[in-house]
Amino acid sequence: MDLLLRRLLHLKRYETPSLERITKNKHNIMRRVRDASHKSRWTLADLLELNIPWFFAEPRYGIAALFIVFAGLQFLGINSQKTEQNKVDFYISNRNLAAIESPVTFSTNHISYPKLPDNLQLFPYQQGNDQVKFVERVEEKK
Amino acid sequence: MLRIMVIDINLNAEKVSKEEVEPSDRELVLQSQKGDVQAFEQLVERYHRKIYGLTYNMTSNREDAEDLTQDVFVKAFEALPRFKGKSSFYTWIYRIAVNKTINYRKKRNRKRALSLDQFDQEIKTDDVYHDLTSKGSPLRNLSLSELQIKLNEALQSLSENHRIVVVMHDMQGIPHEKIAKVVGASVGTVRSRLFYARRQMQAELSEFIK
Repeated sequence: MDLLLRRLLHLKRYETPSLERITKNKHNIMRRVRDASHKSRWTLADLLELNIPWFFAEPRYGIAALFIVFAGLQFLGINSQKTEQNKVDFYISNRNLAAIESPVTFSTNHISYPKLPDNLQLFPYQQGNDQVKFVERVEEKK
Repeated sequence: MLRIMVIDINLNAEKVSKEEVEPSDRELVLQSQKGDVQAFEQLVERYHRKIYGLTYNMTSNREDAEDLTQDVFVKAFEALPRFKGKSSFYTWIYRIAVNKTINYRKKRNRKRALSLDQFDQEIKTDDVYHDLTSKGSPLRNLSLSELQIKLNEALQSLSENHRIVVVMHDMQGIPHEKIAKVVGASVGTVRSRLFYARRQMQAELSEFIK
């Protein structure tokens, strides 16, 4: 039976298109090929169909693959958020960020005060008050 | 002994002269990749019949087969710059044809009416045809066109995966190993598909195959 079937199928080789149809088909192919050679631009659909033909041949597998990729990305996103929350970063910069020089402190008795610029007026002048007298300059201790 | 040697030399000479005249697929592919359309035209000439045969037997519709054959060659031309030559051009273009045909069939879900090419008159000189239509054969009273319709209907009753192996192996004479490369399955799978496909076709054609 198997042999008979194969002999029957062998006969299908004699089913051939007419020469005219073949010639016309070849001309159509070459016309399209010449057109394509002039505009060699790729669409995203072309690239996808050529690179991952199984995606289009079996759409259910394609959709399943997309779902897996989506789930994977979601999982990665959640994980990275968690690690961001748990992590404290320290940054060190060599640049002098402040315009004011860093405070150099010196101690008088026990209390430390920052050094102030010379031209900074701490108290307003008490003009017209003769009762205020200069008593003593306090020198800073070294 | 001497005679065999002479024949062998003649065959070799014929082979060499053929190689000199006709460039290999690889050479034509390289030229086509550089944009030589005429080189690609030679590849079309070389493989048109086979690709048409594949698409025609897969669809049993000559208009669809013509459209598909065009699409396959155009797609192959467009994809040529990325063809690295890991497989032969023959395997590569067959793979495109198989994918295109299966996609085409899936897009057109409804069953298409048969639109068949005529049998070449040479069939009448074929021994197989002679035997099948001789006295005592269940096919003797069947006309050629009836036989053709029955065969194509039986073929279309198969699933895509089963039909492709029958077409490639039993009609185009492609070995199992090459079919496996084209369809992306193991040789064992190809053999098994062929077995089940033949069994189903025998059931479809049971009135003739006894």
